[in-house]
Amino acid sequence: MKQNDLTETLLENTQPEAPVEKKATKEKKSFLGYQIKDIVFLAVMSAVILVTSAFMPLLLHIPLFGVIQLGLGLQFSMFPAIGLAKVRKPFSLVFMSVFSGVVLLFMNTVMFVCLLFCALIAEGVSLLIFRSYEKDVACFVACAVYFPLSLPFMYVWYQIMGGTVLSYVSSIWWVTALMSIAVVALCCLGSFLGVRISKELKKSGVMKK
Amino acid sequence: MSGDKNILYPLTGILSAVVILLSGLIFAKNIWCPVLLVWFFIWLMLFGCYRACLKVLLPMLVLGGIFAGITYLASGDGMSAMSMMNRMAAVFLAVVPGTSITPVQMARCLSSLRMPRAVTLGMLIALSFVPLLTLEIRRVREAMVTRGAGSIFSPQILYRAFLIPLITRLVNISDTLSLSVETRGFTLSGSDYSIYHLQSFRPKDAVYIIGIVLGVVGMAVIV
Repeated sequence: MKQNDLTETLLENTQPEAPVEKKATKEKKSFLGYQIKDIVFLAVMSAVILVTSAFMPLLLHIPLFGVIQLGLGLQFSMFPAIGLAKVRKPFSLVFMSVFSGVVLLFMNTVMFVCLLFCALIAEGVSLLIFRSYEKDVACFVACAVYFPLSLPFMYVWYQIMGGTVLSYVSSIWWVTALMSIAVVALCCLGSFLGVRISKELKKSGVMKK
Repeated sequence: MSGDKNILYPLTGILSAVVILLSGLIFAKNIWCPVLLVWFFIWLMLFGCYRACLKVLLPMLVLGGIFAGITYLASGDGMSAMSMMNRMAAVFLAVVPGTSITPVQMARCLSSLRMPRAVTLGMLIALSFVPLLTLEIRRVREAMVTRGAGSIFSPQILYRAFLIPLITRLVNISDTLSLSVETRGFTLSGSDYSIYHLQSFRPKDAVYIIGIVLGVVGMAVIV
């Protein structure tokens, strides 16, 4: 009898830990599937966007449609692409746009709201087509679409404010068209560069998934 | 900003920045707009943002002057030049409340409003990281000079000798930073946490925002 008790006790002690509890603990440590290292990396990339876009107030009042997007297109597509290539999770782009938008909130509130919507739409488009960010093309598309999407938003904004405040939308239609094409091309280039840099860093072992 | 008592409630700061920017843009073409902007400037000075106000004064006048000059040369219209100056001043004044609020105060305020910790942490890092990042950029540039890499304006050199080392360094820094955050017991879970120095809305903030709104209303009445 005693030996049986001892065997039972030993068996009880050697039972593996319940896997459900482990999973629960792991889930508790994350937010929407994001871990601290993901949030930190996205925040660092947002800081890079902020620093490289420091000249934005100078572009703000140049009376030419799309001049802000042309000046900031490369940064706003390359660094998000790097962030997205490392943190391949839904809402990564939205997080980056929120983090980098803290400064914009004071400087150009309309731009902040506009970029937030653009990030949501860009993520939606990319995830609808590719289902996830596993493929590099998905990251490329999301980041290439993200910043040019602000053009129609800003167009509407300028149209609303145009009568009394700004006359930024050029009456010469081809200037607007040319600027838009240039912005799209620049953002595609930036997005491509971002994906390429992240590929290179993964190959060298610096960046891990 | 000299101490916590003189600091504006962060959300009041954001609200006032939005009001200043929008009203500056809307009334830019009005002859009375400079009066409104001067009112904002004085009001911001009175409510503890005097250092930030003095910091932006010179760039505001210089850049505003340059842009107004260009506009005058392009259009020959004094009114257009004045409206350009007004818009520029509105942007600079809108930035003042933002520069007066430290990232930590912003994070505390948002935490007290139960904003997800992932968002507050990200905002805090994004804002606090800027000085460190400028230092890192300088270091990479210095390394480029030491190695005799050539001009940064060459796309190939920019990519190979500047961007790749910079991003590599940033990845390493972010790994260290996340480890540091985790070892300090920071989690993204919804567990309870305490906030050191609660940021709360005070009567002073109410007076501040009333003053800003009164300025805008007064301007609207004049117009």
